[in-house]
Amino acid sequence: MTMANFTVPTVTSTVTSADGLTEKISVRNLDFFYGDHRALKTINVALYHGKVTAFIGPSGCGKSTLLRVLNRMYDLYPNQRATGTVQLDHDNILSPSQDLNLLRAKVGMVFQKPTPFPMTIYENIAFGIRLYEKLPKSELDGRVQHALERAALWNEVKDKLGANGQSLSGGQQQRLCIARTVAVRPEVILFDEPCSALDPISTAKIEELIDELKEDYTIAIVTHNMQQAARVSDFTAFMYLGELVEYGETTKIFTAPNDRRTQDYITGRFG
Amino acid sequence: MESRGRQPVADVALQGGNIAVAEVADRGKVLQKLRMTDIGFRWLTRGAAIAVLLILGGIIVSLVWGSLEAIGKFGFGFLVTESWNPVTEQFGALSPIYGTIVTSIIAMVIAVPIGLFIALFLTELCPMFLRRPIGIAIELLAGIPSIIYGIWGLFVFAPFLQQHVQPFLINTLGNVPGIGGLFAGPPYGIGVLTAGLILAIMVLPFITSISRDVFSAVPPVLKEAAYGLGCTTWEVSRYVVLPFTRVGVIGGVMLGLGRALGETMAVTFVIGNAHRISASIMAPGTTISATIANEFTEAVEPIYTSSLILLGLILFAITFIVLACARLLLMRLNARVGA
Repeated sequence: MTMANFTVPTVTSTVTSADGLTEKISVRNLDFFYGDHRALKTINVALYHGKVTAFIGPSGCGKSTLLRVLNRMYDLYPNQRATGTVQLDHDNILSPSQDLNLLRAKVGMVFQKPTPFPMTIYENIAFGIRLYEKLPKSELDGRVQHALERAALWNEVKDKLGANGQSLSGGQQQRLCIARTVAVRPEVILFDEPCSALDPISTAKIEELIDELKEDYTIAIVTHNMQQAARVSDFTAFMYLGELVEYGETTKIFTAPNDRRTQDYITGRFG
Repeated sequence: MESRGRQPVADVALQGGNIAVAEVADRGKVLQKLRMTDIGFRWLTRGAAIAVLLILGGIIVSLVWGSLEAIGKFGFGFLVTESWNPVTEQFGALSPIYGTIVTSIIAMVIAVPIGLFIALFLTELCPMFLRRPIGIAIELLAGIPSIIYGIWGLFVFAPFLQQHVQPFLINTLGNVPGIGGLFAGPPYGIGVLTAGLILAIMVLPFITSISRDVFSAVPPVLKEAAYGLGCTTWEVSRYVVLPFTRVGVIGGVMLGLGRALGETMAVTFVIGNAHRISASIMAPGTTISATIANEFTEAVEPIYTSSLILLGLILFAITFIVLACARLLLMRLNARVGA
C-alpha cells in the first residue's frame, strides 16, 4: 500500500544488445484489457534466445497475463484484448492474421497445475507430435522417448507408458507436461508458476530441467518464489500493478536494483 | 450462547474441580443426544435406500408372477414368434421387440451426434449472448409432454414426411444396393422411421443438456493446455473434452436411450401399430410399450393379459441389458486409457 506514492512508470533497463544476445521475442508498448480494466500498462520487454527470463511481482501484477499474451491464450476468452506489438522473430503475433495453432506450436506453455490429458502417458506425448507430423510408429516411439528423457521422466515411466497420465504423482505429471511441450519442438517455452503445486524435490528437478532446456529454447518463467527466480533466470523483470517496473540481468536486479519498489519487493518488505 | 459456552471454562479455571466434573457430564449428555440423531439419520437414509430395492424387487416379482401363464404356454418361443393374434390367442413378441430396438437405434443414431455437437457448440464455440437462449430452448424441448409430440407427429410431422421426405428417400437411397431394402415401399408417413425420428427429437434434450453440463465442467486449464499445443477446437473437443467427460456423456446417452426404449405415447401415435416385421423402416411396426398401451383395454382373456405383462418384463430385461452393456463399454474405455 505504501507503494502507491511511487508514480514514475519509467522502465530502467540495463540490458544492451551489445552482449551478443538475440532478441527472440520483443514486446513493445503492450497494453492489455480485461473488458475495461487495463491489466498491463505499456509493457516493453525482450526475451533473449537461450536465456531464461523470470517475471516476478505480487499477485495480480500482470505476470501471468503477460505470459498469456505471448501465445495469445487470451484469445480463447471474449472481452480480452491486447494492443501494441509483440514480435516473435520478425512477425507481429498480435496481428489478426496470425495463425494461432502455428503460434502455439512455436510458443509452448506449462501451467501452474499439471494438466495431463485424459489418456495414457505415451499418448500424452504422441498426441502433440501427431498434430503436426505423420510419423511411422518406430520414429514416433523415438520422439516420445526423447521427449520424456528431456524432461527427466523416462526412467520413471518407461515400464508403464500405457498407464494413464493422471495416475502419476504431481511432480511427474508436471514433467510429463514439460515433455509434452518439448515434444512439439517449440522455440519458446512459457512456464506459469510451474512449481507452485510441487514439493521441494520435484521443484529442484524442474529447475534443473529449465536450466538444461535453456540451451535450445527461449524460456520465460513466472514465479512467486524469489529464490527460484534468482536460481534459474538470466534476466528478471519486476512487475507491479500492471507496470513493468524494472528489467535487467538477474544478478543486477537482485543485488543492486535501481527502483525502490523492486528493492522492497525482493527484500520482502511487501508483496 | 457464546457467553454461556465460555463462562464456565473461566469459572473452572478459577474455582477448580467440582464444576469441571459437572461440565464433563453435561458434555457427555450433549454428545449422547448427538449420537442419537446420528443413529436416527443413519437409519433414515438406510431405510430410503432399502425402499428402492424393495420397490424394484416388488415390480420384478409382480411382472414375473403376472407373466407366468404366458411363459408356461409359449415358453422361449414367445421371444422368436412374430405372429400376434388375439383371436386365436397366439402371441409372440418378436415384432414389438424388433420395433423397440430399431426405433431406439434410429433415435440414437440421429440424436447422439446432434446432441454432442449442440453441447460442444454451446460450451466451446457459441458467443455468450446466444448461450442462454439456446440452452433454455433445449430445456423447454425436454419439458414438452410426450402426448404433444404424438399429436404433432401424427398430424404435422408424418404428413410432411409422407409428402416430401419419404418419396425422396425411396427414390434415392431406395435404389442403393445393400441398404435399398431399408427404404423401400410406399410412403405411409407413419411407421418405424417416423417413430425413430420423433424419439430422436425427444431424447435430444437429455443428451444435450447432460453433455453440456459435463463439458462445461472440464477444467479450463486442461483445454488451455491442449490449445497451447496448437490444437484446433475440434482436436480439443475430440481428444481432451470427450475423453475427459466420457463417463458423464455415456450417462447422458444411456438416459436418452432409456427414454427411447420406454417411450409410449408419442410412438403409439406415429408407428402404425402393426404386428409385423418389415425389411423397410418406412413400413408400420410396433414397439413393446406401444403394444401394451394400445391393447391392455382389450385384453380380457387371462392369457392375453399375461402376454402383455410378459412383454413388459422383456422391456425391463432389455433396459437392464442396455445398462449392463454401458457399464461394460465404460470399463473397456477406461482400460484403453490406462485408468
